[in-house]
Amino acid sequence: MSFYDIPRRSALLAMALTLAVPTLGAAQGDPKMGGTLKISHSTRIATLNVLSLSGPAEYPVIDMAYSGLTRIGPDSQPMPDLAESWEGSADATEFTFHLREGVTFHDGTPATASDVVATYEAILNPDVPASAASVLNMIDSVEAVDDLTVKFSLKTPFADFPTSTAHANARIMSEEALAGDHAMLETVVNGTGPFKMESYDSARITRLVRNDDYFIEGKPYLDAVEMHLFPDLAAETTNFLSGDIDVMLLVQQADYERISSAPGVNALRVPSGRYVNVVMRFDQEPFDDLRVREALAYAIDRQLLVDLVLEGLGRPAHDNILSPEFRFRIDTPEKNYDPERAKALLAEAGYPDGLKLDLVASNRPAIRAQVAIAIKQMALPAGFDINVETMPHDTYLANVWRKGGFYMAYWGMQPTEDATFNLLLTSNASYEDTGWANDEFDALVQAGRSTTIESERADAYTKAQELMLAELPYIIAFYEDVLTASRENVQGYTLNPINRYFYLENVWLDE
Amino acid sequence: MPKAFRAAAGMTGLGLLLLVMGAAIFGPFLAPYDPQTFHPADRLQGPSAAHWLGTDQFGRDLLSRLLNGAPSTVFFGLGATLLGVGAGSIIGVIAGTAGGWIDSVIMRILDGLLAVPELLFTLLIVTFLGGGMGQAMLAVAIAFTPGMARIARSSVLSIRTREYVLAAVARGERSHYIVLREVLPNAVGPIIVEATIRVAFAIMIGATLGFLGLGAQPPSTEWGLMVAEARQFMFRNAWTVAVPGVAIAMAAMGFNLFGDALRDSLDPRRSR
Repeated sequence: MSFYDIPRRSALLAMALTLAVPTLGAAQGDPKMGGTLKISHSTRIATLNVLSLSGPAEYPVIDMAYSGLTRIGPDSQPMPDLAESWEGSADATEFTFHLREGVTFHDGTPATASDVVATYEAILNPDVPASAASVLNMIDSVEAVDDLTVKFSLKTPFADFPTSTAHANARIMSEEALAGDHAMLETVVNGTGPFKMESYDSARITRLVRNDDYFIEGKPYLDAVEMHLFPDLAAETTNFLSGDIDVMLLVQQADYERISSAPGVNALRVPSGRYVNVVMRFDQEPFDDLRVREALAYAIDRQLLVDLVLEGLGRPAHDNILSPEFRFRIDTPEKNYDPERAKALLAEAGYPDGLKLDLVASNRPAIRAQVAIAIKQMALPAGFDINVETMPHDTYLANVWRKGGFYMAYWGMQPTEDATFNLLLTSNASYEDTGWANDEFDALVQAGRSTTIESERADAYTKAQELMLAELPYIIAFYEDVLTASRENVQGYTLNPINRYFYLENVWLDE
Repeated sequence: MPKAFRAAAGMTGLGLLLLVMGAAIFGPFLAPYDPQTFHPADRLQGPSAAHWLGTDQFGRDLLSRLLNGAPSTVFFGLGATLLGVGAGSIIGVIAGTAGGWIDSVIMRILDGLLAVPELLFTLLIVTFLGGGMGQAMLAVAIAFTPGMARIARSSVLSIRTREYVLAAVARGERSHYIVLREVLPNAVGPIIVEATIRVAFAIMIGATLGFLGLGAQPPSTEWGLMVAEARQFMFRNAWTVAVPGVAIAMAAMGFNLFGDALRDSLDPRRSR
């Protein structure tokens, strides 16, 4: 053993530790009260309507202002939020949640079981646009047993229900606000979260201040949090590096190295299940042929894509929609770049002279077109002549998304296996876009959600993944890490790989 | 401005113009590499013997991309200007020749349009038409039309009362003969000068639209789009931004200086 081995090994160990506990800055002594945290973001906070919002900078705001029944913790498991405890029946069809006592909304009215019922009825109301509806559609009825107890009855057994109630768009709103004009929800915030809305300017700064009546004693530590909008990424980086901003919500891959090596900065890299996927419709030529889908899968150099497009800040994926963060994820066979094999598969499928295709990529965010252009180049030696067609995002949504035969999609990580499959792949998935409609797969996903017995769930999800990998509904080439950064004096800042929960009540400033 | 300096500026303009036009016509054939081919081992490199102007984030050769992007960049400017000049001249000549209420109505509308800055006007039209090269070209042309119409009209107005025109009227020539044979050939000088200078603006607006994602789309190598794609790597390898940026500046300056020189040589008060 040489002298140099020791430091290298301890460096590896240190790296492993940072990955395991993604919290920035070792807590130095007791948390200090006070101070204003400034967070920068590059996308507009267009609405504050909890039911329907979906913007990356909108989620931290509602995570501060509202509470859900449950919340996903940094360990990706459901944790208590407004409900301090819950229990499910053995057949996973009935769940009872016990609310905390004495919680009030920001306007002073008490938060009780009737507010929870009103919120879930709004989510399940087909006339109300609600992002959480597809994840909660197994609810048959919700009733307030007493002021602090809510009981859900489910149409079908569903073991992950406490994870579903943590959905970022299922935060509890007041019965009064929901009975009124829903347009008011766009701008008026009345939640039970650690921070109260003080001012909302969607084009500049959104400011929240400490909720002195927050249900966790002694929290939050900060007096206020300000969300600063920088439409220009270069300006955002400059302001963060100059010290005007404490937290940069999302760091671009191209900037990560520069930011992480800057003095006084803690950069945080959280492995996540975010991915860009190639959609190849089963009901349109030529991708109705499995061999063509497989050929394309072997025509992609996944590690090179990670290096070129993600600057190495991600992991190669081998078409499994579940990243290693998922509990029931199986070991996935690696697909190595093999243009010869791809060529042979194409020839077998009846395209010995190659195949000419149009691949659509919307122009937002830029990563879609970058991956598309890289795939075009990598697939050339395999006989794929791909013409990348970029278009404005709105045109793509209207004309190509869920209709086109061959295009680039981009999805964030979902909290559970069930939510992932039911978002895209089952035949009645919320955003089904493959035309796969496989009864066996549907049945396996249904089996996985219908039992609380771990081994049965593992079995169902294993088979579902094997079927998915065999039929290849998508090409998923990599999982993208979530990147964020904070100034050194920011303590307790952490991120969840799903990137919907920010735990800002734990953050304090060490000045 | 001293005459020698003006002459030097004009020659510089001509030189740049020839260089840029040469690149636009022959560039794609001169490129040492395929502009889309990746060289992953050489990504984000500065100039070297293998890659004279360095490489971008995919390791694509910047010189080859620049040469391949020259036609779309330069011909965009020429095409948009030509369309704008054509439409503007027709409207201006009609207004100037017809006079009276027709003239008044046309010119008040154009004055209204001229009040909107050209870039903003272009952005409005592109937003309406949707992004893309063709749409962007049309938008620039539409934005150029009011200004060109105004110049064409004033040229026509100053010529309309000249003796040779009056003579043609006295001869009893038909009005389209007078416009095409007597007025237009004599009004064309100022229009050409203005058009040359406008090509510079058209190239810059085209690059701006490409930069904003409203003009050329990937994998095009249009120069404005090249700047946009390279921007996030500016701090890692400044060449990726500088190369297309300098190229845009050279093209715009070439047309601008050449147009200035052209104006000087056509302006009787300035030539001695």
